[in-house]
Amino acid sequence: MMRTDWRDHDWQLIHTVPQSPSLHMALDDVLTHEVGAGHRPPTLRIWEWASPAVVIGRFQSLRNEVDMEAARRHGIEVVRRVSGGGAMFIEPGNTITYSIHAPLSLIKGLSFQQAYALMDEWVIEALGTLGIKAWYQPLNDITSDGGKIAGAAQAHRGGAVLHHVTMAYDIDAQKMLQVLRIGREKLSDKGTTSAAKRVDPLRSQTGLPREAVIERMIATFRHRHGLTSDILRADELARAEALASERFSSPTWLADVP
Amino acid sequence: MHGEYKMPGGKLIVIDLDVHGDRLAGVQLSGDFFLEPDDALNTINRTLTGQPAAADQADIAAALHAALGPEVTMYGISPDAIAVAVQRALRGEPAA
Repeated sequence: MMRTDWRDHDWQLIHTVPQSPSLHMALDDVLTHEVGAGHRPPTLRIWEWASPAVVIGRFQSLRNEVDMEAARRHGIEVVRRVSGGGAMFIEPGNTITYSIHAPLSLIKGLSFQQAYALMDEWVIEALGTLGIKAWYQPLNDITSDGGKIAGAAQAHRGGAVLHHVTMAYDIDAQKMLQVLRIGREKLSDKGTTSAAKRVDPLRSQTGLPREAVIERMIATFRHRHGLTSDILRADELARAEALASERFSSPTWLADVP
Repeated sequence: MHGEYKMPGGKLIVIDLDVHGDRLAGVQLSGDFFLEPDDALNTINRTLTGQPAAADQADIAAALHAALGPEVTMYGISPDAIAVAVQRALRGEPAA
């Protein structure tokens, strides 16, 4: 397999109506598989959330990470994603989430660290045009002078890599801390004792509506890498809906790491 | 028993386990690390379960190295860091 460049691919954009948390988990799985199998060109998918969620990493302990009673009280759906990394607290208007479904050739020969940095170069540039000096902070964060902006995760499936990122546009830190259990050990080398201070949202840094930030991101990707508007195929959506109900909504999958 | 270790420059590694007789039992690894393929988590749990409770950090790390094939890749986690979390769980050390 030869290493490929962004411009070697015919990038597609999928940006649909809001979808449920479990359907988002399933779409990540299905679209990565489709790209890996060569059934779909490499794709950038911008997520719109239909409801609030906590998304935990593939290897996180459900009971260690989430206060399920608090989540129920706030009407928050808790789902487990296919990639590693940490828990994300999602409220629809507060979050910008995207997935890149790319052939493995794009990151061929790169270290994990290099692959994470490569996948988010376009976002760093987009944020720069909005006046935010941001950079990739290993292992998997996008950060700025003001604090962390986003967390990324990758997973390899067949011939493809899934790179997905959740960015904090705004945040209700009080609610987040009621639902997520954030331990001392996790913060031990972060230089702060307050989890709420770790994240500095895009809203305060740009003063722009969320939609304007997304528009700028899409424009930057299109300019750098090329991008054609696409839609989900009916068979992709049908498979994702089946997977969402059979796997990603199931208590067994959620508690796979209890 | 519960042990946590934030690997320097890496991720949070959590171990929950019991000791039955002089062996580790029901070992569960968790955390915000990255592991490919994802069923390597089960390989690690199975490898740790049954290890002598008296095993030191180097013994645990060596057992993991031996069990994990070249196809397994780790980011933000390592056999040595898992071994530290196991030792912390066994000693009942506080998180920090």
